Parts: sequence; C-alpha cells; structure tokens
Amino acid sequence: MAALLNSTRWLRPLCSRLLRLPRGAAAAHRPSPRAAGLVGAPGSTHLIYQARLFAIAPHQKGKVQEQPILGIQNKQAHGFDWALNKLDTSVRKTGRITRALLLRIFNDMCRTGYPSSNQVLLLLRSCGSLLPEVPLCERTELAHMIWYKLQVLGAVYDASHYNALLKVYLQNEHKFSPTEFLSKMEEAKVQPNRVTYQRLIAAYCNEGDIEGASKILGFMKTKELPITESVFSSLVTGHARTGDMENAENILSVMRDAGIEPGPDTYLALLNAYAEKGDINNVKQILEKVKKMEGYFMDRDLMQVIFTLAKAGYPQYVQDILSQLRCERGYIPDAMNLSLTLITQGLEDTAFQVLKTFPTLPSENHSESSMDTGNFFLRHCVTMDKPLSKLKQFCDELKEANMHSSPLQFTLYCALESKKAALAINLMKTMKEEGLPLRPHYSWPLLVGYRKEKNVQGTIGVLKAMHELGVEPDVETYTNYVLTNFDDIQTFRALLQENGCPFETEGLFVAELRHEAVYGTLENVLTLLSSPSMPSADLFHFKGCLVLGFKRSNDIDLWSKITELLYKDGRYCQMPPGPTEAVGYFLYNLIDSMSDSEVQAKEEHLRQYFHQLKKMNVVISTNIYRGIRNLLNACHVPELIKDIIVLTDTEKLSVADVPKNTELEVSVLEKKLEKLKAEKQPIENVLKQLIVALCAEENMQKALEVKAKYEPDMVVGGYAALIYLCCRHDNVEDAMNLKEEVFRKDSSVALDANKYLALVKVLGKHGRLEDAINILKEMKEKNIPIQDTTGMGFFHILNAAAMRGEVETVNRLHESIVTLGLAKPSTNLCAPLITVHLEKGDIPAALEATIDCCKKYDSTPRIHDILCRLIEQGNTDLLQKAMDFLNQDRGEMAMLYDIFFAFLNTGKYKEAKKIIETPGFRARPGRLQWFAEKCIATKQMETLENLVEMTQKLFECDRDHMYYYLLKLYKISNEWQKADATWTKMQEENVIPRERTLRLLADILKNNSQEVPFDVPQIWYKDHVEPAPDSENNPEKKVLILCKEGNVQEAYNILLEAQKKDIMFPLFPYSTLIQALLSKGCLEEAIKVKNIAETHIKGFTLNAAASSRLILTQVRRDYLKDAISTLKTVLERDLVPLPLAVTRLIQALAMKGDLESICTVEKMVENLAAPTGLSRMLFVNNIVLAHIKNNNLDMAVEYIEPLLISGTQNPDAPMTSISYVFRKVIEERLEPALEKLSAMAERLISQFGVYKPATDLFLQYVDAGRVDDARFLLQRCGGIAEQKGILLAFIAKTSQKKGQGQKIKTLLDLIPDFTEKEIVYSYLLKCHALDKDVFSAKMLFKKMKAENIHTDEIFLKRLAVLLKNAGEAVPFTEPPEPFSFYVEQLRQKRQEISSHDV
Amino acid sequence: MAVTRVPSRRLFEIYIARVPWTLATKDLKDYFAQFGTIRKCLLPFDKETGFHKGFCWVGYSSEEGLRNVLQKESHILEGVKLQVQEHKPRSFGRRYANEGAADMS
Repeated sequence: MAALLNSTRWLRPLCSRLLRLPRGAAAAHRPSPRAAGLVGAPGSTHLIYQARLFAIAPHQKGKVQEQPILGIQNKQAHGFDWALNKLDTSVRKTGRITRALLLRIFNDMCRTGYPSSNQVLLLLRSCGSLLPEVPLCERTELAHMIWYKLQVLGAVYDASHYNALLKVYLQNEHKFSPTEFLSKMEEAKVQPNRVTYQRLIAAYCNEGDIEGASKILGFMKTKELPITESVFSSLVTGHARTGDMENAENILSVMRDAGIEPGPDTYLALLNAYAEKGDINNVKQILEKVKKMEGYFMDRDLMQVIFTLAKAGYPQYVQDILSQLRCERGYIPDAMNLSLTLITQGLEDTAFQVLKTFPTLPSENHSESSMDTGNFFLRHCVTMDKPLSKLKQFCDELKEANMHSSPLQFTLYCALESKKAALAINLMKTMKEEGLPLRPHYSWPLLVGYRKEKNVQGTIGVLKAMHELGVEPDVETYTNYVLTNFDDIQTFRALLQENGCPFETEGLFVAELRHEAVYGTLENVLTLLSSPSMPSADLFHFKGCLVLGFKRSNDIDLWSKITELLYKDGRYCQMPPGPTEAVGYFLYNLIDSMSDSEVQAKEEHLRQYFHQLKKMNVVISTNIYRGIRNLLNACHVPELIKDIIVLTDTEKLSVADVPKNTELEVSVLEKKLEKLKAEKQPIENVLKQLIVALCAEENMQKALEVKAKYEPDMVVGGYAALIYLCCRHDNVEDAMNLKEEVFRKDSSVALDANKYLALVKVLGKHGRLEDAINILKEMKEKNIPIQDTTGMGFFHILNAAAMRGEVETVNRLHESIVTLGLAKPSTNLCAPLITVHLEKGDIPAALEATIDCCKKYDSTPRIHDILCRLIEQGNTDLLQKAMDFLNQDRGEMAMLYDIFFAFLNTGKYKEAKKIIETPGFRARPGRLQWFAEKCIATKQMETLENLVEMTQKLFECDRDHMYYYLLKLYKISNEWQKADATWTKMQEENVIPRERTLRLLADILKNNSQEVPFDVPQIWYKDHVEPAPDSENNPEKKVLILCKEGNVQEAYNILLEAQKKDIMFPLFPYSTLIQALLSKGCLEEAIKVKNIAETHIKGFTLNAAASSRLILTQVRRDYLKDAISTLKTVLERDLVPLPLAVTRLIQALAMKGDLESICTVEKMVENLAAPTGLSRMLFVNNIVLAHIKNNNLDMAVEYIEPLLISGTQNPDAPMTSISYVFRKVIEERLEPALEKLSAMAERLISQFGVYKPATDLFLQYVDAGRVDDARFLLQRCGGIAEQKGILLAFIAKTSQKKGQGQKIKTLLDLIPDFTEKEIVYSYLLKCHALDKDVFSAKMLFKKMKAENIHTDEIFLKRLAVLLKNAGEAVPFTEPPEPFSFYVEQLRQKRQEISSHDV
Repeated sequence: MAVTRVPSRRLFEIYIARVPWTLATKDLKDYFAQFGTIRKCLLPFDKETGFHKGFCWVGYSSEEGLRNVLQKESHILEGVKLQVQEHKPRSFGRRYANEGAADMS
C-alpha cells in the first residue's frame, strides 16, 4: 500500500543512497514526510497503512456527525482497500498505472459518494508520472477533473491535497502561478506548510524565476522553516534555466556553507542542467566526480538524464548514458516507463534505443511468443498514432535483433484492437508485401466495430480493402460480421457491386443460405439451393442453420424438397462418404437438436417427412440409422423407428436393429427366406430372424408353421424365442415339445432365466408340478445366471399359485426354489406360503404358516393381514396366540406396532389409541413409514388421518414426515381443502415443515387454482413421473387418468359409455370430469355430466372448484348473467369460490362498464364469512375501469384520487396499486383516459408526495414497450427513479417470465444510475438464462466486469450452467455446490440481515 | 432412470492453448489433419471483439489420430509453439446435466 501513500518505492533507493554517501548528515535535514516514511519502509508497509487509517478515523468522526455517512464510509474503507490494493499492485509491479484503472476507481468513488480524505489523496497522487502513457497536459486535466468533481461530492481538502496537486503540476511540467495557488489555499483557509513552499520554489525555478523562488524562500525564513537539500537542488535548476551555470555550480558551496552536504538530488539537478545544454563533457565529469566520492547514481537517475537529453534535442548523447546503466533489479519496469514516456512525448526513436537495451532472454526456442520483447512498445506506438513507416522500421529492427518473432502481426493486432482501420489496412498491405499470409478473420475486429455503429460504409470499406488485398471474405465473415449490419441481402449485394467487390462468391451464397435458414424462411432456402448460380458448397457449412430453420418451419413439403435437393444435387454433398452419410447425419443432427418434447410434439411431422423422403428414394446408412434409432428411443417415441427404418438398406440390418412390431420385416424376411431356399443357400440366420419377427408379432400359429416347415434349419435362438412365445400363449404342450426337440439336437443348450421361468409358470398353471420342479433343477444344474428380476419372477409364479389356492404347488415350488438356492427366502418370497391360506379364508393355517416361516426363515410375512383378519373375526384366542408368539419372537415393541396397525386398519381406533398410549411406546420411523405408505397406496384416508392424529404425542415422532404422508395422499385424491386444513393444523401443532412438504402442499393448492398462502421454496428439478396405475378395466379410474392427462374428450366418451351400461361412479370422477371439461371450455358437455351425476347421486352439487370453473367458462363465453347466478348459488351453499373466478367475472363486468353488477358482486362476496382471498383493489380498480369505459373520466378520477391519497396516510394499509387500471387503459389504447390518469399521478406527486401511482404508470409504460412515454414521464417526475422498492419488485416479477430481459434493459437505460446494479443484473441474467440467451448473458458478464460489479455465486453458478448447457467453456471457476445451496445461503444471509435490522 | 442421449460416436479430442491470433479454424484444421481424420475443429471467436479466444478443440474420429498428435513433441505453427493436450470430456453432457440436477434434492 505504502507504494502510493508513502512513496517507498522512491524512498528505498534514497535510503540506501544516504547510507552510501560518506557524510550522510543530510538525513538530519530531511524531516517529514520522507523521514516518517523511512521508519516503515523496509517491509512493513502494511503497518503504515493501518496507522494511517487510524490517524484519519478520529478526524472524520470529529467532522461528520451523521451516522449513515459513517456507515457508508466504513463500507467504502472496504472498497478503498480493494482499490488501493489494485493501484498498489500496479505501481509495485510496473511503476505505472493506466488511465482506465484510475478512471474506474474514480468513477466508483463518484458513484458511492462521500469520498474520504485519503481516497482523494490517492487519486490525485496518481495523476503525475505514474501515467507515462498519458500526455502531460491530459494528466493535469485529469487531476483537475478529479479535484473539482470530488470537491462537489463533499471532499474536504487539506494541505496534503494541495501539496499532492503541486507535485502533479511539477511532474507534468504544468505552468501555473504560484502566488495564485497560495491565495487559493488562503481562500480555502488551508495553511501552506514547508512542503508547499519547497514545491512552489521548484515551480519558480523550473521557469528560471529566481526572484519568485527567493520570495518564497523569504516566507520560509520568516516562518523559521528549515531549508532542505531539495530547495538547493531546485535553485541549481533555477540558475541553470536562467543560463547562469556558474551560479548553479555555486549553489553547492552555498549549501556547504549552510552545513548541508550536496547529495545525489543536487548532483542530479546539475547533471540535468548540463544535459539540457547538451554539454556532455560536463555530464561525464560529474558522473566521474560522484563515482570518486564513492557514491553512484541509480539507473533511474540516469534515465532522467537520458530523458532530458532527448527532450532538449541531443539524442546523439543518449548512447553515452545508456552505456552507464547497470541494469540493476527493477530495471525493466523503469526502462519501460521511460520508453513509454518518450513515445508519449514524441521521442520514439530514443524510446526505441532504450528498448534495445532490454536483455533478451536466451531461450532454446526463440519462436515462443512469450519471448517476444517490445509488445508494450509497439502497442503504445499504435496508440499514439505513430506513422506506418516508423512502425515498419521498428518491426524490421526488432525482427532483425531477434527480439520479436512476429512484430508486424502484433502491431496489426494492436491496430485492430484499437479499431484503427486505416492503419490496420496499411499494415496488412505491408504484410502482404513481406509475403506474410493474410486471412479473412483479420477484418473481423474492424467489422465488429462498424456493426456496433451500424456503419454500412465502414463495413463496405473494409470488405473492399480486403478484396484489394486479395482476401475474400468467408462464410463466417458474412454471417457473423457483415450481414447483421444489413436489412436485406439484395441491397448489400448491390452495394458490393457498386464498390467493385465480388458479389457472387460461395461465402456470400452460403451466408445468405444461413441467414434465410435461421429466419425459418425455407422457401427462400429452397430457391437458393435450386438456383443455378449457387456455387457448390458443402452441407457441412450450413447444416447447423438449416437444422434451426427446419425447426422453425412446419412445412414438411419444404423439409422434404430441401432434403431431396441436398441429396441429389451433387453440389452439396461432395465430400467423400457422399449423400447417404451426409444427409443421414443431417437427419441425425436434426433430431438430436430437438428436445424430447419437441420430438414427441412433431412425431407426425417427422413421420410424414420420413415417408416423403422414402418416396424420393433418399437412403441413409445403417450406422446413422442406429444413431437415430437410439435418439428416438431416448425421446420415448420408438414408434417412429419403423418410419425411419424405411430409409435404410434393410438387407444390411441385423435382427437387433429391427424394432419390434415391424410388419415390414416379416414379409421381407419371408421373401428373403424363399429366395435363399430356392438358391440352395444356408437359411439358418434368416429363418431365425423370421421366427423372432413372428414372435415379436405374437403370431404363434404362423411361427409354429414356419418352424415345422424348415425344422432341420432351426437354430437355438429360434427355438428359444418360440418356446417363450408358446409359454406366453399358455401353450404348455408345444412349449415342452419344443424344449425337448432342441435338447435332442444339443443337450448342452441352456435357455435364459426368463424362458425357464416362463416354463415353470405355465407348467405350474397346468398342474404339471413335477415337470416344473424338474425345470427348476435344470436351472440349477446348468448354472443359469439369476438376476434380481428373476427373483421377482419366482415370487410371481408362487403368488399366482397362491391366488389359485394351490397349497401343495406353492409349498413344493417354494421349497425347491429355496433348497436349490435359486432365490433367497425373503419375506416377499415367503409371503405366498401364507397368502394361499388367507385366500382360502383359513386364518389358523395362515398363522401356523407364518409361525413356521419365522422358525425356518426368520421372517413373518403377512402378519399384519393375519392380525387384521383375526380382529375382524373377533377370534381373541388366536389373536392372543399370535401376540404371544410375536412378543416372544420379535420383541414387545414390534408386537405392539403390529397390533396397533391392525387395529387402525380395521377401524378400531379406540383400541389403537390404547396401544399407542402404552408407556414406553416410541416412534419407529421405518414402521410408521411402512404403514403410512400402505395407506397411501390403498387410499385409506381415514386410517392415515387417524394414524397422524394418534401419533401427535408419540415420543420422537417426526411430525413433518407424518404430515407429508398425509399430503401425499391428499394430492393423489386431490383433496385440496383437506390439504389446506393440514397447513393450519401444522401451524397449530408448531410443526416446522420441510421444503418438500411445502412444495407438495403448494402443488396441491396450485393444481386446484388456489392461492398458496406461503412462500414456495424454489424447485430445481422436475417432478418425478408418477407411475401410471393399472386402469385397464376400471372406467372410473380411466376417466380420472384421462382427465389428468388432458384427454378430456376421451374421458367424456368413456363416461357416456358407462352411462349406457348403467355403471355409476362415485362423486369424485364426475366433479373431476366437469372441471376438466370446463377448463377446455366445453360448457355444454360439462352441464351434461352434471345432469348425469345429479341423476345418480342424490343431492349432487358441484364443489367449489368445479363451480368456479363453471363461472370462468361462463365468463369466457360472455354469459355474465349466468356467471353471476352460479356465483350466487355457490355462495348460498357457503362454499368459497376460487378468487380467480370472481376476479375474471369482475373484470368482464368492468369491460362492459357494468358498475351496478360490480357492486352487486362486491356485496355478495362481502357477506361471506370465510376469507375469499380477494383484494379490495379488485373492486376499486374495476370500478375505475367501468367509469372509464362509460366515458366518465372525471368520475373515475374523483373516485380513485382520494383513495390513493388516504392509502398513504395509513402506513399499515397495503399499498394501493392501480397498475391494473393503467395496464388496461394502455392495452385498450384509451389515450384520453391515460392522459387524465397520468395528470392525476403527477398531481399526486406535486401536491402530496405520493409516488406510487406515477411509478406504476411508468412501469406499465416500460412493460408495454412505450419507452418514450416512460422517458417523458420520468423527465417530469424524476423522483420515480428513487422508488427502488417498486422498481425492484417490478424487475423481480419481470424476470420470472421468458423473453422479458429487454424490459429490464429498457428500465436500466431509462435510469442509468440505478444503484442496485448487482441485484438488477442478477435478475437480468435470470432472464437470459430463461431465454437460453448465451450471447446476452456473456455480454452482461463482461459488462459487469467492466463496471466492476460484484458477481455472487448464484450469478456465477447460473451463468456457468447456462454456458455448459450451451456447450460453451466456462471462463471462470464454477461454484462447486449445486444451485440450491447458494440460494439457501443467500436466503440465510438475508434472514440474518433482517434479524439484525429488527 | 431415463435413457440418456449420448452422441453415437465417440470423439477423440485435443485441447490447444496459446493459439496465435493470426490463425483461423481452417489453418488449424489443415495442420492437425496430418495426424488423422478430423471430425471437429472448434476455435471459438468472441463476437464482441472479433478475435478468437486463443484456444481450440480438435476432435479425431479415431484414437489413432489422437495418439499421433500427442506423440509429436512440439507443434509449431507460424513460428509459435502451440500447447497441445488431450481433452478429457467432462463426465456429463447436455442430457446428463438435467439428470444431475434431478439428483440434488
């Protein structure tokens, strides 16, 4: 830090010099500030910095009383740390800073306001020689700008600031009047100190004004200030500048007389004095003399002499001094700064001389670009607009000296980077002359600039220049950098022609093609592709855009025609593998680029497309086919596979390639088989394929016939498929025969586990128990690998037997399976042993079986069912026996749970309650979960409700879990009222719900269009897909499922059919269907279902949700009277309608201007006991609108204005917002009303300071894209920009929908100094992420970096995810945790902050 | 678990850093094609500056191409030594990213 504040960098050499000079008494005469700095100089810079901050703090406190300012300054001290660090590193590393960095810190400071004293000092000190790249006068201007601007912002200047300014003046050779300076200080009541006087003396001396200097010296003497070496050094310079070298030399003896030994500063002054005169001899003499005094000059001192020589016009002597340099540590940055300063001041030749002294690092491979020396030099020459000839000369010399491998290219890079088009073009010409390659992309940086400026002439100019250089633009040039600047390609082509540029190149054609494709204008694409003037261009170059284009068009004919053209026209698929591969790959890319849902949605399109391609004889390779097949499978549209397969050469496909259900395959194979047979060729393979295909079609009859016909040629695979088929078709005889047949052929043959299981199953079913057991034995013998699914297979076989009540079959098969070790005797596998008795109603036997099972296999399957049955039967003896057994074997707690669940399940809640109140009973989460999930699966709502209630006081019971189960069931049965009640109950019980519980609850409510009364935790993953329940033979379930899937028409049809068959449904399916029909707007059908329901169910009435739907539909159909009466009946039955229904009704009434009805509805709703969730503003807003609709503008304003004023006087009342009115008025283009309302909003500001309405209007303008109106309003009412809360709320809301980023951008454009940039940009990024707009997101990121706005982890994470999803590299370290982690972190942080605020 | 979509054919990729600004995609493709058949060559350009970003990916259709490139000790193009290394594709692609998200409940 101290590098800046204490100038240690300059101090350290001085310090060592002091020690070196023999009579170093000078130290005594060098008081503060340098001496003060000395203490801390070696390595303790940090301490000094801290000390300084401490020194400043009390000073500030004394002056500034207000707390908030202190707060901001504290925050700034933080930021200051950072800025200081940045500047400090720059100074430490390079000895310079850039103007950009300085301005950035300055602007930051201006933005945050309240600059502190040391910050200002820091900036001022940076405006001198630390800016070698900036011309002297500009540096001073910069210092002045900072000085005045910060003064306005409240900076308080003391002597240190004035002294810093003086130093800057001296370093920048700024001419000024010292007396004026002093009087200014006086005006500001700042006392000049010794340093001030010293610097003023230096200023006079620089002008050769000894008289002026003497005057100041007089001041110093009267004030008894010590005269230091620096004053004498200045006097040396002063005399020299008057041309009086004798007196200059004399100063040294004067010094000695005054007791000060001349130090290096003085000698340096003398050296510079001689250098200015070009007196190299005296310069050399002094150098000698100092050397003899055993002192020496630092490189840095000598560099000053070099600068002086060059500046005074004696570059010929520079070499003499250069040879004296020792190139000590830190030489390079100093020499660079010297070089830069020289270039800045027009002395580039000397600068180059300095550059050539740079040591070139010896390296084995000098071709590495990192070894290039002089980049900084070339870049600054370009910045300072040095002429081409100079640049070329430097480049040549650098190259010759082996200092730089590619200086011209680098210079061109600099020219392009700084958008110096003329220089860049000239450099390219030079490069061409030198035989260096030129490439199209060299023009891109220039074109980018012109594109941003929309400078058409500039663009054409660059293209022309490139053409003249013999570089023809490629597709990328046109697509990315040129065409974006033109509205249509024809004008562009004409312009090219006018300017003598080629206009019919391949690049341009392909670019045009891409352009059209991206906009989805496929007809133009087709025209272009078929145009004879189109040169040949490989599909590869425009494939990506074409895929985009296809996706934007639904015209299958165009799709096919274009594809055909690509395939057949020769011009587009010239690369070796040819069209089969290229077009096939295009199809692959097309499908791959679509999301699953897109493919599903376009299934029919794709099908037509494939078939049209088939008609056009388009063929794709089998490899590509396989790729596409995998894609289609992954997208869950396997049906399309048989449509794409027609495009391949089926001969080359293997069986595995062919999907099931391919009719085509059977006939093809049959023909093929016959053909082979006729040719007497081996048919085994084809025969197998045919059998497999027939099996896939489940055509057993035919498969058996084929087998019989070609028996000798049958192979194992064919048999296996056939056996499996027979088993599936319950054809046990053929299955066993086939098995024996294949074994006769080869006894070592083994089938796979599934086929064996199928055999066991069918044998068991047909009572051939021994055969079945033999099969099991064979499985064991042949060591058939058994998978988990096989285990399930065994269970199904056993269970099926159990359901048939075949005790022996179950027992023997089970025994065989277990003793053979084919499967483990899990509880599940043992269950059929008990099931078989339960099915027969033999409970005692079932209990015996369980006890037996427990002894043998240590498990008690189906004990719950047994207990339930015993309770139902009231068989207390056996129940006692069961309990004793359980108690003994499983432990008391397990027994109690078993019996508790059994009581619950049988509805004996009193008994259950007694059990759970057993002392010592505690929660076993696993068991509770088991029972809860059982209840959910069987929809035992009452049981589950009782469970949840009874466990309320259960020790260690996780209440959130329990409620979660309950909500799960409510969700399945769509019981939103109950779910809603649960929410209340949980609060009553003080349960803190987990996120998933809240989400579930919110889901239920949302699905029923209910308002969610809490903040829903964000969800970052898709809902899991619910398994489709078995609904085959249950029309009631079918109706429910179809409704859920949105296939309402089908559900309606099923209901009508059921009605014909007199099947009656319970209440729920009717109301669900009615709601579903209404949501599709099928009013008549809904009414019909309602009538049906009313005939079946006595007193059937629509529930609140369905009634609300009815109201919504009636409103949509404009049956407002009916809607009102529906609402009336709902309210009469004390049901609460959906707020949405009432809202829509009121809105519709307002649009009709029907004030009376609005008031009627308001009264109806008001009388309702339960809260409706309706805002009072709904009525207020719509009454205003109704007035407006009736052309009663004055009435509207009279009505609303007092409400808006009084609304603000009651701080507890919710903010009164009439945004809705504004939006409607804007939407409906009711300009007179808008004017009236706008005038009102402005009046509210000027008379009452109420900003809300005007801000709302402003935002509505922004929302509607009426930017000019928004701007004018803002100009009239500037205070809108300060309504941060309202604006941020708008931004937050806006960012939740797609495609809204522009609105936020507009808002920022309108209010450029919006302070919460970090937050706003986060929202903006959210928009871009929603839109998958990678480009804008990256721009935003760059912008934030440039503006130095902090990017938090959420921001970075979101950006990283966006980039990764787009397949782009992430140019920063991606925060490692999942997104939710950071969101949670932020939430906690916010909570902490808000709790601190309280 | 849903079936994930993965590219049907694997690419054997290298990552090249320190690409001098003067080189274009075509130059890199031409150079690296000597080691094997190239299926992908991606040199991203910054559309805001018009310069490329100094790094590039080249994908070979076979492992052999990859091996050939890595065997050569240094790759010097227009006098500049390129930094070439094998590019290990990240473990998840487009589809997997969604899956990963689903796992973090």
